[in-house]
Amino acid sequence: MIERWALVSGLKGDLETYELIQRDLKKARGVTALFVLGDMIGPERNCDALLNRLQNPRRDELQPQCIYGWWEEQLLAEQGLRGEQKADALRLNQGEEVVSALLNAVDTYHLKWLSSLQFGFIELDCGLIHGSSADIGDNLTSETSPLILIDRLTRLDVNRLFTAHSTKQFHLELTGGGLDSQVKDLNGESQHKQKVSKQSIIGIGAGASYTIYDVGSDKTHFLTAVGQCNTPSKGFA
Amino acid sequence: MKHAVISCLHANLAAVKAVLNDIDQKGISDITCLGDLVGYGPQPNEVVDLVRELDIACCQGCWDEDIIEGLNACECSYPSQLAEKRGHLAHQWTAEQLTDINKDFLASLPTSIRRDRILFVHGSPNSQHEYLLPDMNAFAALERVEKAGADTLFCGHTHQPYVRDLKNGSIRVRLQNTSNHNAEEKEINLPMRKIVNAGSVGEPRHGSTNATYVIHDDVTGQVEIKEVVYDIGLTCQAIIDAGLPRIFAWRLSHGFEFAEQAEDASHVCER
Ligand SMILES: [Zn+2]
Ligand SMILES: [Zn+2]
Repeated sequence: MIERWALVSGLKGDLETYELIQRDLKKARGVTALFVLGDMIGPERNCDALLNRLQNPRRDELQPQCIYGWWEEQLLAEQGLRGEQKADALRLNQGEEVVSALLNAVDTYHLKWLSSLQFGFIELDCGLIHGSSADIGDNLTSETSPLILIDRLTRLDVNRLFTAHSTKQFHLELTGGGLDSQVKDLNGESQHKQKVSKQSIIGIGAGASYTIYDVGSDKTHFLTAVGQCNTPSKGFA
Repeated sequence: MKHAVISCLHANLAAVKAVLNDIDQKGISDITCLGDLVGYGPQPNEVVDLVRELDIACCQGCWDEDIIEGLNACECSYPSQLAEKRGHLAHQWTAEQLTDINKDFLASLPTSIRRDRILFVHGSPNSQHEYLLPDMNAFAALERVEKAGADTLFCGHTHQPYVRDLKNGSIRVRLQNTSNHNAEEKEINLPMRKIVNAGSVGEPRHGSTNATYVIHDDVTGQVEIKEVVYDIGLTCQAIIDAGLPRIFAWRLSHGFEFAEQAEDASHVCER
């Protein structure tokens, strides 16, 4: 059986784009799961309609499985629902106005649902997370040092890490290499060669740019949902 | 020039004095301390006083941080619930004993000290609570040194001294993205780096009861791990007199408590 996952992030309240993606997914073959990797909310527009839809999906569409992202964390922190800190990161980077815009963009009715969301999913040997387990705002891209990427995979103990925060779409496979380690302690010396395991980091994109992952073949398809007047564009297959 | 690096003194005055004496006998006057001046042991003020008096450059350890911040430190520092309970007892006792001046001193310590391409930290560059064990994933270990912008990273916190050389590293990657239809491949060569764990002066857990520290020669890059015998009986008696958990005395006189090894080497405090 074909098993394919759709991975979406960074909708920031954009219900229209979400509907376009759902429309595309209906036509795509074999998509069995839809993962929304956070940033469902943002300060640019009112997010209530999208949040309603994610919590109450239509019967004929893929049921979204959501985790929280950087924007959700900022909102929950500001509302006192995450630790002792307020939305300090947001306040520092974008100012008080954006903090209030974010508060205005989400009805407090949704806070309960948002605070119930998980930090990430582990599916098979894959980790699905907004940034990484080191930091929800971890900006992993194809330019990130492979050492950091190996560290992030190691922390979650997965072979594939799907990440969204950078908004970039990429599939970076670790294909080989190694590192010699020599340890000396009071008992003597030991040598060890650690090989690079075959692992991948996949950036899934944001907004209308989303990703379909074919579990059986380990292939990634980078797609962009577009409105009626445009023709859909497709990444490599 | 040679310099000595000590860590995890843990309020064990007899061990601290013995190690400082050993360093002095070798004609070394340059000492860096990686923190954990207090905790577990019976002489927190005496040890902090001595370090202040000798003006030893110090990083802040996990215990030093917890004593001043209150126990909001992560419980994940403790490998078991029992260890955690005992740790809390020791924390409370130490917090009561420490003078305000000594608390202020611990609060003023930096989380890292840099000397050119050498970085000194307590746990890791990420956190005072992260354990860099000798068998940690080599790439993740190298990432810690690279993140620190260092050639050599000195750490403590595990109470097990070691020197780890990471070399001849490379990583091959294949990249696909939206702009390349054919995957591009590249190979990255990794730099050679060193991690030195200074062990523990006052709470050794490397398999023997001796205090440990390291001597670093910054010309040759050589690191020697040193063991120093000290009067354990003196410290054990002081632990019992202070009313601290007896297990701390037992642990010092046996040198190792299997149950209290960190289970997850790459664990990072999410606090
Ligand atoms: Zn320690
Ligand atoms: Zn420590």
